[in-house]
Amino acid sequence: MSAADLAIDVAGVVKRFGSLAALDGASLQVRRGEVYGLLGPNGSGKTTLIRMLVGLLDPDAGTVQVLGRRLPDLDLLARVGYMTQQAALYPDLSVEENVRFFAAIHGHQDGVREALELVDLWDRRRSEVATLSGGMRTRCSLACSLVHEPDLLLLDEPTVGVDPQLRRQLWDRFRQMAAGGRTILVSSHVMDEAERCDRLGLIRSGRLLAEGTVAELKARAGVERLEDAFLKLSEAAAG
Amino acid sequence: MSTRRIGAITRRLLQQFRRDHRTLALLFGAPLVILALLGYVLRGGGDVPRMGVVDLDGGPLGSVLAHQIERSSAVSASGMSQAEAEARLRSGEIAGYMLLPADFSNQVQQSRVVAPEVRLEGSQPNLSAAILQATSQSFTVLAGQAGVHFTPRVSYRYGGPGFDTLDYFGAAFIGLVVFFLVFVITAVAFLRERGQGTLERLMASPLRRPEIVLGYMVGFTVLALIQAAEVLAFSLLVLHVHNGGNVLLIFLLEALMAIFAVNLGIFLSMFASTEFQAVQFIPLVVVPQVLLSGIIFPVSTEPGPLRVVSNVLPLTYAVDGMRNIMIKGADLSWSSLQLDLAVVLGFCVLVIAGGTATLRRRVA
Repeated sequence: MSAADLAIDVAGVVKRFGSLAALDGASLQVRRGEVYGLLGPNGSGKTTLIRMLVGLLDPDAGTVQVLGRRLPDLDLLARVGYMTQQAALYPDLSVEENVRFFAAIHGHQDGVREALELVDLWDRRRSEVATLSGGMRTRCSLACSLVHEPDLLLLDEPTVGVDPQLRRQLWDRFRQMAAGGRTILVSSHVMDEAERCDRLGLIRSGRLLAEGTVAELKARAGVERLEDAFLKLSEAAAG
Repeated sequence: MSTRRIGAITRRLLQQFRRDHRTLALLFGAPLVILALLGYVLRGGGDVPRMGVVDLDGGPLGSVLAHQIERSSAVSASGMSQAEAEARLRSGEIAGYMLLPADFSNQVQQSRVVAPEVRLEGSQPNLSAAILQATSQSFTVLAGQAGVHFTPRVSYRYGGPGFDTLDYFGAAFIGLVVFFLVFVITAVAFLRERGQGTLERLMASPLRRPEIVLGYMVGFTVLALIQAAEVLAFSLLVLHVHNGGNVLLIFLLEALMAIFAVNLGIFLSMFASTEFQAVQFIPLVVVPQVLLSGIIFPVSTEPGPLRVVSNVLPLTYAVDGMRNIMIKGADLSWSSLQLDLAVVLGFCVLVIAGGTATLRRRVA
């Protein structure tokens, strides 16, 4: 596989906060056009890794390449969408004003309607974000991160606190976008979501334990359930 | 009513404060700092107002009086020519001078009336009062012995007897009001951006740091300029604060103050993690400037070390500039106004650079 086929290429990345190593030699490769699941428990380094991919953090060691370019590269960020864990929006602006603002800072003017229709919020476009329910805010936040039609979408636990029905809806959207050629990296600690990814990376204590499709990981661990596979591969790495 | 439930709230509050060392430091430290500053300003034994004595008197009384006032502890008086006195008055080096006319001794002997001329700089009422008092005191010895009346003829270089306190303080406060409100609003708005997570999103976009700072600056400056115009119109049209200068110049200075305040707000918000902490900058940043910028207490009579501090505070120059324009009618050809404007502009550049530099990409 050539470097041009990779949307994300992280090699041996280390990030320390004081004495804590949030990332401890993590490496992963995400191919263009796939939905990649970054799976791991809380505090395993998922958010640190994602924040590094948008240049919010610099690695202490190792290299990070996004869409074939070395970070930091601000212009590259116009092609990347980033959805933070918390729905980071302006509560006193309307849904549409929020989306329009994030489009504008990424150099886009249109696409607002498409983005809002994608997350079923076009009818609520005039509502102030402060008046929305949690699930609607999550969807609005998603619209903000994809309104500029990024080639790479980084979603940090997008379905936390989202009800099953909406979760299914969101995953349908992710699959649609991937089918349209976009690359999506989703972090999660929910195993049943992982089944919907093309490939998975299991992360623990700042290291990638294993990478592969769901079937591959199950086969490698010799178990039926993904959860068991994760536990077994963790033990194997620790031992 | 349950005392246990009330107690739970009280205890929780105290627990929160115990963790917030910064708020504790402010709560118990700031009052001491502010009061100490106030005490130092008022009792620190700073310089007394400077004045000149122009003795044109051919007779003996003039030099007696000149010596009398030069020995006064309430003012620092020294002899000079009238031309020099007038020049120093204009530049603000002296707060006033006493002129003893050529026929002063004769006049006193013939009419038993002591009528020196007292000319005051006039832009700072505290100084004018001190000089008038010192002058009359220096005459009391003479007046008591010879049974003469003391009726000085007072004139003002700037301002005048028709000026009231609002005329003097209004000029300074127009600048202060704009600075203070804009500073607080910007600091809080920027922290909100950080707290709600949107700053992280901005940082993960192609936005450059200067673009964020400039965007904020333009947005808040627009608001601040409307506010400045409103404050100015109200002061001049409703309160009838005296203005001897060009309204556009006042507005220019106000605009610079607004730009300074916006960027100071952005800059300082980097050193606070909550809106709560941002508000705490008020006693640290705003109050000392109000005490030391010459709004209430003239910088020229502060104790030496404080004067050094005053001379590096931006508000000092803004206040001086406002008084220069409104009370003295200064225009751009005045070197003192040029200095005021240049210093405030310099501070603007400084905080813009500081805000941009400290707006780290790391936002957590």
